[in-house]
Amino acid sequence: MTDTGQKLVPMLFVFGVLLLFVIAGLLYKTRESSEYGVSGRYTGRIGGGAAIASNWMSAASFLGIAGLIYLYGYSALAYVIGWTGGYVLLLVLLAGQLRRFGKYTAPDFIGERYESNAARLISAAISIAITLIYSIAQFKGIGILFAWLIGIDYSSGVILGACILMGYIVISGSLGVARSQKLQYSVLIVTFILPLMFLAKRLGYFWIMPQFGYGTAIADLSREFNINMASPFVHSGPFHWTALCFTLMLGTAGLPHVLSRFYTVSNVRDARWSVVWGLFFIALIYWSAPAYAVFGRLIEARGGINLTPEAARAMADNVVVRTALLGGLPQWLVGMLAAGAVSAAFFNVAGLLMTGAASISYDIYYRLVNPRASEGRRMKLAKGATLLLAALVLLGSLKPPGLIAEIAAVAFALAGNTIFPAFLLGIWWSGTTRMGVICGMLTGVLVTFAQPLLGGVLPLVNTLFPLTASALCGAPLVLAIMIVVSRFSEPPSMEIRRFLADEVHGNLQ
Amino acid sequence: MQKEPESCRVNLLRPKGEQMKGEVTIMLASLLGWGVVTFGFQLLLALVNVYDKGSWLTEFNFFGLPFHFWFTAQMLPLWFIIICALFNLGIDRLSERQSRRRDGFYD
Repeated sequence: MTDTGQKLVPMLFVFGVLLLFVIAGLLYKTRESSEYGVSGRYTGRIGGGAAIASNWMSAASFLGIAGLIYLYGYSALAYVIGWTGGYVLLLVLLAGQLRRFGKYTAPDFIGERYESNAARLISAAISIAITLIYSIAQFKGIGILFAWLIGIDYSSGVILGACILMGYIVISGSLGVARSQKLQYSVLIVTFILPLMFLAKRLGYFWIMPQFGYGTAIADLSREFNINMASPFVHSGPFHWTALCFTLMLGTAGLPHVLSRFYTVSNVRDARWSVVWGLFFIALIYWSAPAYAVFGRLIEARGGINLTPEAARAMADNVVVRTALLGGLPQWLVGMLAAGAVSAAFFNVAGLLMTGAASISYDIYYRLVNPRASEGRRMKLAKGATLLLAALVLLGSLKPPGLIAEIAAVAFALAGNTIFPAFLLGIWWSGTTRMGVICGMLTGVLVTFAQPLLGGVLPLVNTLFPLTASALCGAPLVLAIMIVVSRFSEPPSMEIRRFLADEVHGNLQ
Repeated sequence: MQKEPESCRVNLLRPKGEQMKGEVTIMLASLLGWGVVTFGFQLLLALVNVYDKGSWLTEFNFFGLPFHFWFTAQMLPLWFIIICALFNLGIDRLSERQSRRRDGFYD
């Protein structure tokens, strides 16, 4: 960041907003907690949409996307399209049927549909891996923000942020704080867009809708400074762009903590419509994020700041807050922005850790190890698992392996290569067998990590299965393996096929 | 290959029954609209970019933004929302017709 030392006003904002959520949650206090990590009931389509959106918003949306667009311009729009277009797949292919199938978590669905404990175990392990990878990205965001707020280095920032986060989770858990997701979403959208409007006004662009106002800034950048952020496919070719975009789409449709959101709306029809609202609320943020990136470039260019590519990459994840600072926004507005970013990351990690812990306490421990375990014991285990996962994430985030959105993309690739094909075939082809899904998911894991594992030996792997964009070639391969193996293995039982035909597909309501 | 009783077979590519056929038609139409517009535009852009630098796709200004940037960054997310809404309208109509037929009325 540009300056050091404690930022008193922003700090007050960050802690003020967190406190606000605790107080609002205590006032609500209609918690229906369960080990699934799905708490609270939401009525109505707009409320369901706000729940989907606030559950989705993360440091990757709030900070990461702007950082990538700042670095790569048009090429980074693959993230914007991937993370919105995935909802079309989710709605069209899975949402209604999943809701009627009635299983709350990805491992639970896979375990029941394929009647296999091995498949349940593999998908639980994959869910946990996705939680860990995605949370590392969030922790990086948290670390950057706290390091800036307190004026310390990144490692201390991430440790301090993790402690505050865990404290927050424990306090809200023991007080029984309900998650008011409408309030959460409102806070996120206001803290993201209001500073942007001020920024556009200060720079002299159309500020009422900075989502359009930044267009002139792109033109000015290219005319005055010969920086063309809009030129297509400069940093990555069309193939890589498509592969990345497609991977993020499949991942969105297969991400375990997104899937479980369909159970918080009362009926299938409302669940479907809440996706439309959710997508609209998400798009509001994604329409705005490029503006931060473009304004950031413009302010730097006008101020004569010329960063080397390495330095630019090192600070890219800060670009949202940094732009607000360089743009001379008042302290309270910068504080608001930071508070929004911190709460996006906090709630996202809380949701992820709960999903991961549920995989351990419910899918692995209760379903596979000790089916007679009491609810209290399982809750205790879930709490311990949350702490354990958080500790692992903290270790992984001390030396973050990439930019926030890039780390998140690996989690999406893993989901797109494993869970998405298992869901797609599980719902839409009654002939998919347990051997088929097990072989498919294991192939999916291999394909996701093919580049670091085999890239040195087989150069072709680097082209076909890049780490963040492996699902374009990977998911069809996984689907093909699932289909072929299913053809030659023991067919699923009559009961599950009848259930699929009658309950899941028999009725559209 | 195993023999499966016809009544319990579910296959996206071989829908059976009027309702599932209608559902799959709506699904495939939505996916077609999703895929062609998203990836078709990128292909067009890539081709135009190779053969004709500075074409109308990148030069033409739309709401102040270069047209291709506007289309990808703003039109596509909007397009996804439109597809989702149309898909839901289609399924709503289909299920209304289905429950009318089943119960003889629809409330």
